[in-house]
Amino acid sequence: MSSPSVTPAAVGGGAPSTPSAAGGPVASDAPARPNEPTLRWRSRAHSIEEVEQELVRIWAHNVEQLMGDRDGDHVNDRMIGARTNVMNLVVIAGRPEVGERCAATIQRLVGRHPSRTTIVQPADPDGPSWLDAQIVAHCVLPRVDAPETCAETIHLVCGGEAGRHLDAIVAPLLIHDLPVTVWWPDEPHFGSDPVNDLLAMSDRLVVDGSGWHGTGLDQLRKMAAAAERFPIAISDFAMVRQSRWREAIAAIFDIPDFLPYLRHIRRIAVTYGVRDEFGAETTNIVKPLYHAAWLGSRLAMTVTKPLAPMTGGPSRKAPVRSSSGRVTSLANPSAGLGATLRLDRTDVALVIRPVLSEMPAGTTLRVELLADWRGSELRADVTAEQEAVHVRVWQDGVHALERGFTAPRRTDIDLLAEAIEAGGRDPVAVGTLALAAQLAGGTPP
Amino acid sequence: MTDTAVPKRRKTSAKPDAPAVAPETAPDKTPHPAPKSKDAPRTIKDLRIARQGKRKPTPKQDDNPLREGLRLERVADPSVLVLFGATGDLAHRKVIPALYQLWRTNLLPHDFVVLAIGRRDYDDAVLRDELKTSLEKYSRVLPLDDAAWRSFASRIRYHKLDFANPDDFDKLVTVMDGIDKEQSSSGNHLYYLATQPSAFADIVAQLGRVGLDHERHEGGWRRIVIEKPFGHDLTSAIRLNREVGKVFRESQVYRIDHYLGKETVRNLLVFRFGNGIFEPIWNRRHIDHIQITVAESIGVENRGSFYEETGASRDFLQNHLLQLMSLVAMEPPATFDADALRDEKVKVIRAIGELTPDQLRSDVVRGQYGPGWVAAKPVKGYRQEPEVNPESETETYIAARFEVDDWRWSGVPFYLRTGKRLPKRATEIAIQFKEVPHRLFRDSNSDPDPNLLAIRIQPDEGIMLRFGAKVPGLGIDVRSVTMDFTYGSAFTVDSPDAYETLILDALLGDASLFTRADEVEGAWARVTPIIESWMDEPSPEFPSYEAGTWGPEAADGLLAREGRKWRRI
Repeated sequence: MSSPSVTPAAVGGGAPSTPSAAGGPVASDAPARPNEPTLRWRSRAHSIEEVEQELVRIWAHNVEQLMGDRDGDHVNDRMIGARTNVMNLVVIAGRPEVGERCAATIQRLVGRHPSRTTIVQPADPDGPSWLDAQIVAHCVLPRVDAPETCAETIHLVCGGEAGRHLDAIVAPLLIHDLPVTVWWPDEPHFGSDPVNDLLAMSDRLVVDGSGWHGTGLDQLRKMAAAAERFPIAISDFAMVRQSRWREAIAAIFDIPDFLPYLRHIRRIAVTYGVRDEFGAETTNIVKPLYHAAWLGSRLAMTVTKPLAPMTGGPSRKAPVRSSSGRVTSLANPSAGLGATLRLDRTDVALVIRPVLSEMPAGTTLRVELLADWRGSELRADVTAEQEAVHVRVWQDGVHALERGFTAPRRTDIDLLAEAIEAGGRDPVAVGTLALAAQLAGGTPP
Repeated sequence: MTDTAVPKRRKTSAKPDAPAVAPETAPDKTPHPAPKSKDAPRTIKDLRIARQGKRKPTPKQDDNPLREGLRLERVADPSVLVLFGATGDLAHRKVIPALYQLWRTNLLPHDFVVLAIGRRDYDDAVLRDELKTSLEKYSRVLPLDDAAWRSFASRIRYHKLDFANPDDFDKLVTVMDGIDKEQSSSGNHLYYLATQPSAFADIVAQLGRVGLDHERHEGGWRRIVIEKPFGHDLTSAIRLNREVGKVFRESQVYRIDHYLGKETVRNLLVFRFGNGIFEPIWNRRHIDHIQITVAESIGVENRGSFYEETGASRDFLQNHLLQLMSLVAMEPPATFDADALRDEKVKVIRAIGELTPDQLRSDVVRGQYGPGWVAAKPVKGYRQEPEVNPESETETYIAARFEVDDWRWSGVPFYLRTGKRLPKRATEIAIQFKEVPHRLFRDSNSDPDPNLLAIRIQPDEGIMLRFGAKVPGLGIDVRSVTMDFTYGSAFTVDSPDAYETLILDALLGDASLFTRADEVEGAWARVTPIIESWMDEPSPEFPSYEAGTWGPEAADGLLAREGRKWRRI
């Protein structure tokens, strides 16, 4: 029987601490410091009932401790500990290292998102059913003179049949009446019973579509189908991560002179990076597709022709290589996917094309827009780097705008924080996902 | 883009004159929402066809549909912010840091210029250097982002102007025309008066004389932001309103009370009117009394001469405290439009009963701090502060008991207090509920306190609810416990500074968080009699409280005589 490998670095951090031998409160050797999570509890359980008992013990201990800290009638106002729960977070981790990575990310949020986190890691699907749980509680001192805010994390490893009934494991561990967010850092098998059962009891699904296998388009279509079937909100890091691009693109059309061109866009081209000449067929293109889908959905475009390999480019030729043998340009520079959208009564060409880049494969490198309005042409070129997004605009060939937006690339912690803070379905995300799925060939039945 | 919290601004609330567009269906139920449109079909036939999906509404050209779902759903128009008093303390501490932060986080329009006005012989470079030095001290995000500063600084221009010299305003017209043409600012001007209050009337009059107040048909709005204090009594406030009104329409005037831009103050509206459970008990039947405290641990610092002329009543009671009181006591507005909101606030201020001569003596307590200890440091008394008269009678503390004479609040006292050199900096609104009508657990060892709802505005913004709970055990022992919500533990984003919120609102034309002329006059009508009553009284026995304590003993008596006490904060 394997147990979850939760390292002290992943769950502890903060002040050095010593777990009690039998499981329970953890004595801290150093005073808690503001905004640094401190491990206050660690114990183990082997059934859901035992996990529930441990959770009760955590809070009983917490209250006892606080009662011990009473200081006259001041306690009435400020020191009684009350959990400010905002949500249940359920993480489905396919592999131990994913669970560890998620635990580390969540721990960075714990002070600001007091919540119950349940990390579920299915294991050994063909063996007998078993369950091993590690329960830890971290507390954070928001300020020196404020009470600690605590949250618990349950790391569950479920063997055998138990691992196929995720909803049955998760349901009894949810804090009632609080929203349920499921973070699926790997690739959910949309349409399967375990996923459907879990989505049926969830309010929000958090995924990262840019990490899915292949182009990611099949999964994206299935996710759009799930979004139609279940009343859940979906936060895709691949989409949320692009908000800095969206702000910059929208800012172009805040300028009164450029706004009329917006409804006369004729071409959208999104360029993304691939690492080698074969990357075009296997690179995940969820991120570049979202750019086009966001623009299309905001402008109420419809899909006339979904994405298909481009055929109009120059004939295939040998890739260009540097003296060291490294490929420096793609074999076929026009390789990519093309689609046609409809805006009012006019077609809009969409091109999603790869170029060789040192950036991670699938990273959007450039978004180009071409619009013509009353015989005048507007061309916009948007690029991004680590800390900024750059916009350049030409009106009738004349350079009309150059602007840089300070907007650092966001980390997983930022993205998770935003995803779990969001309330309800974001109509922009819903529209973007729906159009992206249509561009990818429509949602499966 | 990622590190500043700016509440999403809906077009309907940001543009008071725009027709409200109700969503056809709840967002949760709309799988493929169409872009919002102000050009929606209007006839029954149009509506039927649109509902059948045969015709899609076409967005009007003046909205940017790409803005939906972003931090700002509408950006400010290209504009020039004309900052009078640009070399002064307020500009350096608050206005410029707020503008820099807005610029750094891409919340200002691309075509934006700050025309800094002052009397000193500066040029652009000198002013920019000075502002950068101040930013390095006062910016809430440090270190400075050099690229953002350079980009912002290139939009700051200095213009020397003597407020008393009419010719200088004639020259200002030429300068403004040049900037409008050069920077495509479309004639949109926001005048920000960060000067001494004595200069307000002259600047407004001169702007009117040279025509810089005129809004143009083809666009080009003109707005003016006026800092507090707005007048020093009722007469002067009416006079100033009249002077401003001769030049600007009320809809062009934005009177700043920065307390209204604070996150928790804005949340007060959401708390009251966005939740169904509080409003039914928000009245005289359930509430015993309300306490509003604005406590400062600092003294007058280097503002002695200013404070000598204002005192706590003018500096805080007339504006911050009465604004907070009106937000607590107001009826729900019909809409979130600026005027609907302010109509309800002004009703509260008008409903505050006028204090009789007896009440002026019994329901108002003033005090002045003497030497003492604050935060483990010895501090001077007020009369020993620089630029303060050694025999000063200026109050550094005021507590008052008001009542709101309306159906909802009749008989509920509102206790307001503010002071300097109190033990800590804290602003809080405490709603004290009545005791339970029947003491079922009278055999309990400890009597449970009545319920209390405390809304903390600063620091440690949050909301606390106190209620009774059974102590575990065989008997029935009831003890008070609290549910505590703190902003910091529920949201990851940092709250914007109040000035960032308010300046952005002024640029967007949203006056909800600014005070209207009738509010200002109404507040002065309540405070002026208090100040005047002191003229008829003998010299107060000042100092009346030691620095580092919670004010004069008489302030405790204000509540004690009715069997109440100030909350310990």
